Amino acid sequence: MKLKKLLVANRGEIAVRVIRACREQGIATVAVFSEADREALHVLMADEAYPIGPPPATESYLKIDTLVDVARRAGADAVHPGYGFLAENARFAEACVAAGLTFVGPPPTAIRAMGDKTSARKIAREMKVPMVPGTLEALRSDDEARTTAAKIGYPVMLKAAMGGGGKGMRLVRAEKELANALRAARAEAGAAFGDTAVYLERAVVEPRHVEIQVLGDAHGAMVHLGERECSIQRRHQKLIEESPSPCVDTELRARMGEAACRVAKAAGYVNAGTVEFLVDADRNFYFLEMNTRLQVEHPVTEMVTGIDLVREQLRIAAGEPLGYTQRDVTWKGWAIECRVNAEDPFGGWLPSPGTITGLRAAGGPGVREDSGAYEGYTVPRFYDTLLAKLIVWGADRATAVERMLRALGEYKVVGVRTTIPALERIVGHPDFRAGRLSTALLERILPGLHAHEGRHANVALIAAVLAEYERARQSTATARDGSNQMDAGPSAWSRSTRPGGREA
Amino acid sequence: MKYVATLDNVSHVVEVTGGDGRYRLTIGDDVWDVDARLTAQGIYSLLIGGLSYVADVVDREGTCMVDVGGEAYEVLVEEQTRWIIRTKGGAAGAAHGQTLTAPLPGKITHVAVRPGDRVQTGDTLVVIEAMKMENELKAAAAGTVAEVRVAPGQAVNPGDVMVVLRAAAEGE
Repeated sequence: MKLKKLLVANRGEIAVRVIRACREQGIATVAVFSEADREALHVLMADEAYPIGPPPATESYLKIDTLVDVARRAGADAVHPGYGFLAENARFAEACVAAGLTFVGPPPTAIRAMGDKTSARKIAREMKVPMVPGTLEALRSDDEARTTAAKIGYPVMLKAAMGGGGKGMRLVRAEKELANALRAARAEAGAAFGDTAVYLERAVVEPRHVEIQVLGDAHGAMVHLGERECSIQRRHQKLIEESPSPCVDTELRARMGEAACRVAKAAGYVNAGTVEFLVDADRNFYFLEMNTRLQVEHPVTEMVTGIDLVREQLRIAAGEPLGYTQRDVTWKGWAIECRVNAEDPFGGWLPSPGTITGLRAAGGPGVREDSGAYEGYTVPRFYDTLLAKLIVWGADRATAVERMLRALGEYKVVGVRTTIPALERIVGHPDFRAGRLSTALLERILPGLHAHEGRHANVALIAAVLAEYERARQSTATARDGSNQMDAGPSAWSRSTRPGGREA
Repeated sequence: MKYVATLDNVSHVVEVTGGDGRYRLTIGDDVWDVDARLTAQGIYSLLIGGLSYVADVVDREGTCMVDVGGEAYEVLVEEQTRWIIRTKGGAAGAAHGQTLTAPLPGKITHVAVRPGDRVQTGDTLVVIEAMKMENELKAAAAGTVAEVRVAPGQAVNPGDVMVVLRAAAEGE
């Protein structure tokens, strides 16, 4: 079976990523867009594009019936869910299958098995994969929480059974904090996932977050593509990822990879998936959960393995065998990814929607940019803030770090605030350079992060004053000459209306 | 053209001459010859003494947001006269102790105090109409009004003494 036309049930950079993979394989593409996304890059790039409703995702990108209907009417034979939105929604996968569409992802049964974190933990235990000590069932009462926590020892972590993205998570350092934390975690879990079930685990202090990429075909083959280090997080949101991990050697990679494959196989997993682990200071690893989708940070794995994950997803969905075994998977060099989000890192990390008036992407050797933005594009306020991912490859980690710093320096986005200046500071930090990574690293670095160190204060003053000076000259010239400015040659500043500026 | 550029609460007088990409800026005692080009909307190339800088400049609610060399600066740029008006002669007032002088040419439209009045920091003393704007000039410190030398309708020139205050006594 060959896929002929695929609907991308997503937006932003990941929709663009999927469209690119399809185009390279001669698969026609169908984009969908909300009313806020008519001018989004994925709409511009797809072969066909159809509106699916108002801006809020609940009325557009999360509408299962609408998406399936558009796919059918466009004559698509497959659907790729991207990540987020409906990517880990078993009902969406079922609806696609019921409509005769190939769902590019795991079977609905595997999504369900892994979607419930307590059921995933049971599978992991049956497969004898190490786990952080904790409960396998949702906590039935505060009393049960108290006795269990006392047994496994504080600090403990409360987690939402249906959770993800840091919602419904609470660190509890001592028993006196437990009752309040339970209440808060249940409330948060209920609001975010419509399910108040929570369980608890022993908290690993300053852990590393390391995940294993797996690929399985419909014929029983399963391989892993090594790890991604995702410890650089802010409030459980990943900001920088890399592969390999500075804390994983060949032997640990083999053990973690084998454990990940065992869990995935037990869940009947097919297609690309990710098994997340915590790694403690003594390099013990513990199963955390499995993500039944393509990850945001998949490019770092592609860069070091040379395997195009989206292409593999499409091949696997079409029923093709992997065609290679674990022995054929090799790793070369080092890759790092930075997430360029429309957020103001010096203004409380608040979202910064608006029009991108100026954009110059980074380029040159070893640099890859997966973006959903372009100059003139208006970042809508309805969706997540990820604009683009900047990925670099280097022969070793030190080379990759220097290359990332170089690329971040080249990357210019004007009109919206982005995480770029903060990323530069983090990547250049001695702890990051030395590979001393943990999920607590950013909490230590960020409070000391200032908008500037005053190294370029004079240049900033000069640039600001010249912008104002030229703006004033332009408006004076316009006022004097009116619209009959016949002899006005092309000035160096001819386009210098101030971006985002107010009417004078 | 003279501007006042304020960065991190420090104001710098900046004089600019030139045009069409080539400028001379005087900041304090320093003179900078700058070759500046707008290469894309909001992205400026600056050559300063042979050094090449790329600076992103965006106006956000009247403040210039400048990103250069991985650092982010917020610079408030005003024409010098506007700056004087906005700061209500605050700098001049401070320089002359308790004497409020006219910071700019204009016409007195309102005198809010009489000799003997006690005023607090920030109380309006005099209003001057200039550049089509009513500019309230306020007390830079608490004290008692010793003299009022202007009346409504009167024209003033920069430096004219308008109000003299006697400082509030210690512990008052």
